[in-house]
Amino acid sequence: MSAARPAGGGALGVWLRGIVRGLAEIPDEYAAAFRRAPRRTALVTLLLALVVVYPFIYRYVFLPRQSALPLPLPDDTVMVFMLIFAALAIGLNIVIGFAGLLDLGYVAFYALGAYTAAFLASPHWHGVSLVLNPDVLPGSPGIHLPFWIVLWLAAIVAATFGALLGAPTLRLRGDYLAIVTLGFGEIVPIIFKNLINVDFALGPIKLVNANLTGGPLGINPIDPPTILGIRFGAISGFNAVYLGMVIVLMSIVIARNLERSRMGRAWMAIREDEIAAEMMGVNTVRTKLLAFGLGASFAGFGGALQASYQGATTSDFFQFSTSILVVIMIILGGMGNIWGVLLGAITVVYVDKTLLPWIGQRFGDIGRALDSPELARINPAQFNFLILGLVLVFMMRFRPEGLIPSTQRRVELHEAPPDQAIASAAVIADQAALATVAEQTAADAATEQALEAEAAEAEAPGQETPSQESREAEDQS
Amino acid sequence: MDEQIIQTIIIGLSNGLIYALVALGYTLVYGIIELINFAHGEVFMLGSMLALGLLAILGVHSGMPILVAAALILLVIALTMVATAGLNVFIERFAYRPLRHAPRLAPLISAIGMSFVLQNVALLVAGPANKGYEDVIPNVNVLSALLGLDTNVSITYKQLFVAAVTLPLLAVLTWFVTSTRQGKAMRATAQDADTAGLMGIDVNRTIAITFLIAGGLAGAAGVVQILFNNTTVWNLGFRFGLNAFTSAVLGGIGNLQGAVLGAMVLGLINAFSDRYLSAQWTNAIVFGILIAILVFRPTGLLGQQLAERA
Repeated sequence: MSAARPAGGGALGVWLRGIVRGLAEIPDEYAAAFRRAPRRTALVTLLLALVVVYPFIYRYVFLPRQSALPLPLPDDTVMVFMLIFAALAIGLNIVIGFAGLLDLGYVAFYALGAYTAAFLASPHWHGVSLVLNPDVLPGSPGIHLPFWIVLWLAAIVAATFGALLGAPTLRLRGDYLAIVTLGFGEIVPIIFKNLINVDFALGPIKLVNANLTGGPLGINPIDPPTILGIRFGAISGFNAVYLGMVIVLMSIVIARNLERSRMGRAWMAIREDEIAAEMMGVNTVRTKLLAFGLGASFAGFGGALQASYQGATTSDFFQFSTSILVVIMIILGGMGNIWGVLLGAITVVYVDKTLLPWIGQRFGDIGRALDSPELARINPAQFNFLILGLVLVFMMRFRPEGLIPSTQRRVELHEAPPDQAIASAAVIADQAALATVAEQTAADAATEQALEAEAAEAEAPGQETPSQESREAEDQS
Repeated sequence: MDEQIIQTIIIGLSNGLIYALVALGYTLVYGIIELINFAHGEVFMLGSMLALGLLAILGVHSGMPILVAAALILLVIALTMVATAGLNVFIERFAYRPLRHAPRLAPLISAIGMSFVLQNVALLVAGPANKGYEDVIPNVNVLSALLGLDTNVSITYKQLFVAAVTLPLLAVLTWFVTSTRQGKAMRATAQDADTAGLMGIDVNRTIAITFLIAGGLAGAAGVVQILFNNTTVWNLGFRFGLNAFTSAVLGGIGNLQGAVLGAMVLGLINAFSDRYLSAQWTNAIVFGILIAILVFRPTGLLGQQLAERA
C-alpha cells in the first residue's frame, strides 16, 4: 500500500501544525468568545477554574468530610484514569463520531502507546544504556527518554499503526470494518504477551531467547513522568492529575481544530454518505487514513500516560472490554461531540472505579450490621459490564445520540415515520446541498487567498498568517 | 500419511463440527438482516451452562445404562435448544427489532451491549470459576476398543457423539431452508426484505424464526461443548463466538454450506496450530485469517448464496 505512506507523513504534519496553531489561538479565541457570549464564556471559565482547583478542594474540603457526603468522590488515581480515558474517548470520537467508522480495536493503539513508553523509558533493554532523561542517573541500564518526548513518540507510533491498519480496510463496509479492527485489537496484546523467549535469525539480526516484551508479566518499572525534577507518577498524588489535565486540554484543542478544519468537514461528509462525498471531490482514502491515524494518536497519549503513571504495563491490561468501555463513553456522552465524550469518559470511569466499589462497601456494611454474609458479599463492581452493557442497549434504543448530542448526529439517528422521514430527508438534503455550495464557494475563495498568502509567506519566511483560510489550504495540500 | 497428522485432522474435524453449529447461527442471522449478532457466542455459552445444570439435575453420569443415558442426553439437548431458541428470539425482539431501520451500526452496538449483559448474567449466576462436568460419554478409542485395530490414531466415542448430534441437525436445517415454505420465506427475506413483505411474507415472523433456529443450534452446540470438552466458563462465548464467526466469514457469510465448510477448515487450522506451532499463537492466527479474508476476499471461500450482496 504505497498510498499509506505519504498520507501518514501528511498526518504528522497536520497533527503538529494543529497543535501549535490551536495553542497559539487560545488567547484570541477566548477574547472573541468573550465578546460574542460574555455570560456563557464566564460560566465556562468558572467551570474550568473549578476543574483546576478541584483536586485541592477534594483534598482539603471534601476528604475530611467524606462520610457526610451522599456519594463518594473520585480520588487522585481515579481522576488520572478519568483523564486517560478522556484522551482515549476524544481520539476514538474522531474515528467513530466524526468519520463514522466503527473501531472495536482501539485498545490496540492504547497498548502500543503504553508499550512504546515502556520500551523508551525503562530498564527493559538492560543491555544498552541510553540516558537522555536528566532525572535518571546517568549510566543506568536501559533506554530512558524524557516523558515529553516519549509522549509524542507514543502518539506517532500509535498513529503509524492506525494508518497501517486503515490502509487495507478502506474498502470495507461498516460492520466488516468493525470486525477487522476487533481482530487487530485482539492480535496486538497477544503479540505483546507472547514475544518472550524469541529465537530469530534474519541475516545479521540474530536473537536467541530474547525477551522483547516482558511476556505475561509486562514491563516494569517504567520511569515516572518528570519535568524539571518534579515527579508526576502514581505516588505523586495530585501532580499526575494536573499532568493529565494538560494532556487532555491539548487533546481537546487538537480535536476541536481537526473538527473545524477542512479534514473535519470531509470526515463528516464521508460519515453521512461516502459515495456522495467522493463525488464532491473528497479524497476518501486519505480522509479515512487520517481519521484512523489521528484518532489512534490520542490513544498513544493515553497509553504513554498510563504506563508512566502506573510505572508498569502488562498485556492483560488491554482487553476487548477496554475497547468497548471507550465505545460506551462515546455513545453515552454523545457521538461526535467532544464535550459529550468528555462527560461520557468522566461518568463511566466514575461509575466503574468509584461508585460501584463504594456501593459494594455499603452492601458490606449493611450485611455485617444485619449479620447477613450473602448481602455483604454483593459486589457490584464485579458486574460493571452488566450495567454498562445495558447502557449500550438502552442508549441505542432510546437515545442513540447520547447525553450531549452533536446536532448533526441527532438528525441522522432520529428517524421519523417513513413518509415524514422522506420529506424531512429531502429538506435536510436541500439545506445540506445549499450549505455545501456556499462552503465550496467560500473554500475556493479561501484557497486563492491562501495561495497568495503562501506566496507572500515564501518571500518573507517566519511570518505566520494564522487565518482560518490558510489552514484549510494547507490541510488540503 | 503420518499417524500424527491423521490424528490432528480428526481432532480438527470434531472441533470444527461444534464450530459449525454456532457458525450457522451467525450466517443465518447475517444472511437475513445483515447483522453480526455479537451476542450469539453468549447464547452458546448460556446453552452450555444450562446443559451443565440440567445434566446435574437429572443426575446423568457415566455408570448409567446406555439407553437411559442416551434418552436423558436427548432430553437435555431438547430442553437446552428450546431455552436458547427462546432467549435468542427475545434478544431479537428486545434489542434488534426496534433498531431495524436505524443506521447500520446501531444494532451492531446494541448486540455488543447484549453480549456483555449476557456474559455478566452468567458471571452473576455461575461465578467466575471454570465449571466442569464428568465424562459421561467414554473417552475411549473406538478403533482399538471396538474394531480391534492396532493403531495410535484414535477416534473416541465422544468424537462420534459430536458427529451424531451435529450431522442430523445440519441435515434438518438444510431440508428446512431448501424444501419448506418457511425456508423459502427465509430465503426471500434474505434476498430483499421489502419485496418479500410485499409478496405477503410476514417479515418480522420470518426473522424471529431465523433467530429461533440460530438459538436452537447454539443451544445444541452448548450441550455438545459440555459433553465433549467437559467445561464452560462465563467468558467462553467471546473467543468461541469469534472463532465461529471467523468460520462463517471463511466460508462466505450468508452461505449455509459455506459456514460448515469454514468451520471444518477453521477446526483444522486450530488443531494444526495447536499441535505444530504453539497454542498461545492460535488465537492470533485465527484473527489474522479473519482479517485477511475480510480484507482480500470478503465473500469467503464459497461466496454468498443466501444473500446476494457483497
